[in-house]
Amino acid sequence: MSAIGLTAAGETSAAIDRWFPVARGEEVVPRHIVQAQLLGREIALWRDDNGLVNAWENRCPHRGVRLSIGLNTGTELHCRYHGWRYASGSGQCTYIPAHPGQKPAATMRVGRFGSAEAHGFVWVNLSDPAEPPMLSTPAGEQLTTLRSIYTRAPASTVAACLLRGYRFALDPTVAADSPMDAALVAGDPYTVRARVHAGQRESTVTFLLQPVSASDTVIHGLLTMHDVTADRLAVLRHHNAQMSALRDTAESA
Amino acid sequence: MRPRAESLLWDDWHAVAEFEQLSRPGRFLTTLLDVPLTLERDPKTDSVLAHAGDEPIASLRLKYGFVWVCLGDPARDIVNFPECDDPDRLLGTAGSVRVAVSGLRAVENFLDLSHLSFVHAGFLGEEPFTEVKSYSVESSPQGGVIAKGCRVYQPKASPVAREGFDVDYTYAVLRPYIVVLYKANPVEPQRRDMIALFVQPVSEESCVAHLLTCYLRHGVEAAAVRRFQQFIFGQDRPILENQLPKRLPLTAGREIPVRADVASAAYRRWLAEAGVRYGAIPAA
Repeated sequence: MSAIGLTAAGETSAAIDRWFPVARGEEVVPRHIVQAQLLGREIALWRDDNGLVNAWENRCPHRGVRLSIGLNTGTELHCRYHGWRYASGSGQCTYIPAHPGQKPAATMRVGRFGSAEAHGFVWVNLSDPAEPPMLSTPAGEQLTTLRSIYTRAPASTVAACLLRGYRFALDPTVAADSPMDAALVAGDPYTVRARVHAGQRESTVTFLLQPVSASDTVIHGLLTMHDVTADRLAVLRHHNAQMSALRDTAESA
Repeated sequence: MRPRAESLLWDDWHAVAEFEQLSRPGRFLTTLLDVPLTLERDPKTDSVLAHAGDEPIASLRLKYGFVWVCLGDPARDIVNFPECDDPDRLLGTAGSVRVAVSGLRAVENFLDLSHLSFVHAGFLGEEPFTEVKSYSVESSPQGGVIAKGCRVYQPKASPVAREGFDVDYTYAVLRPYIVVLYKANPVEPQRRDMIALFVQPVSEESCVAHLLTCYLRHGVEAAAVRRFQQFIFGQDRPILENQLPKRLPLTAGREIPVRADVASAAYRRWLAEAGVRYGAIPAA
């Protein structure tokens, strides 16, 4: 399924050159700027009017003010402090209001990270690689993004809790236990998949962990259901309750 | 007491409270250079007692409506402003605001011309009048930086301004954490109003900004001045608290200055030369 073809990595420098989900795509709405964080680095996420999502270092190179308090005009981001304008895509400064006649130097550019959208999430790679993320599209399955859960626990603790047992029902309106299993996907410590099944009917949740910092993690979830006719809203509520319970376990671990 | 900062700061005076804030009974708690202070007004003698922990503070004075403290051995006097003795001026404190950023960032913001059209739009500046024309910067013989000939179009330059006009500014950084500005008075353009910012370094990454205003009277009311300055500073505060890093980088290349920033560039250079480290990210 989501097979995020990435190698296993620790939460240190080795984790820098890989892709992580940092927000649900639908949260990055037009003409707004969303603040995200990955491995202790603040990120300003903003969608331009063509739909492109920019993932920028969350500070203006001029005086260090967070770009996430700036303005998204649809083509540029304007810094709140001195009105410097930065172009979508390149991050190049296009205009300095204090010096309207002066062309901004090429060095006046915001720090950019690699960004891509896939499976309903915005993905970021802090090393700004030229290559887009290698995300294999699942064949023929209906994917649903679950409500992401912020957890005050390290990703390794969250992964361990998920592996020990993320309990969920195939159909939450029918109280019946089904066999289930949970495992890391391709040995990646940030991706855990849990599966329940009953005959032909099965449901899997792929958890994508976003290491916000050494101590905090966002749990993103992708749900697939096969041959399951349960009420969608009931299923979403069920997972929200189960993930919240898992957060409580991870935070008290 | 063991000095918690370089002598330039430790052996200097810092405003730590408005005197008026001490009028209520009870203790007033604050912090200066990471040292917790307790201030108390004696209702019988009307004097102020100050302690750093259990130690009484010997160097304590009242000036310009503020309580000033020196934690070390005073190497020089409290800053002095001859304008404040003019009989036709209204002297006032405009509040003390806690800001979660290095006080050096607060001083630099006070010196900054090009933010006026954005952060104080409709008052101290306005688009499209955003251009910052050349102004001169010189070092002061007593240490510090003076910026002269700064001209800015201001829609409402002061509590009594009724229409916009080009305002002439002079800035002077007097101490690492003290800066003053002089701007043309809207009624008597050949004379200048004065606003001083006394920044109390609470820690390296937080401060209290104390404002002193010294306006020519001309119908100015103390309450209106106070309200105006608090409104203006209220616009600066969220900007300051969103600066990263919270300490002021003194290394060239960490942040990109332009011509409009020659005053702040000179301020940073002077801080580096004077060896100021508290609240700064020193040059390597």
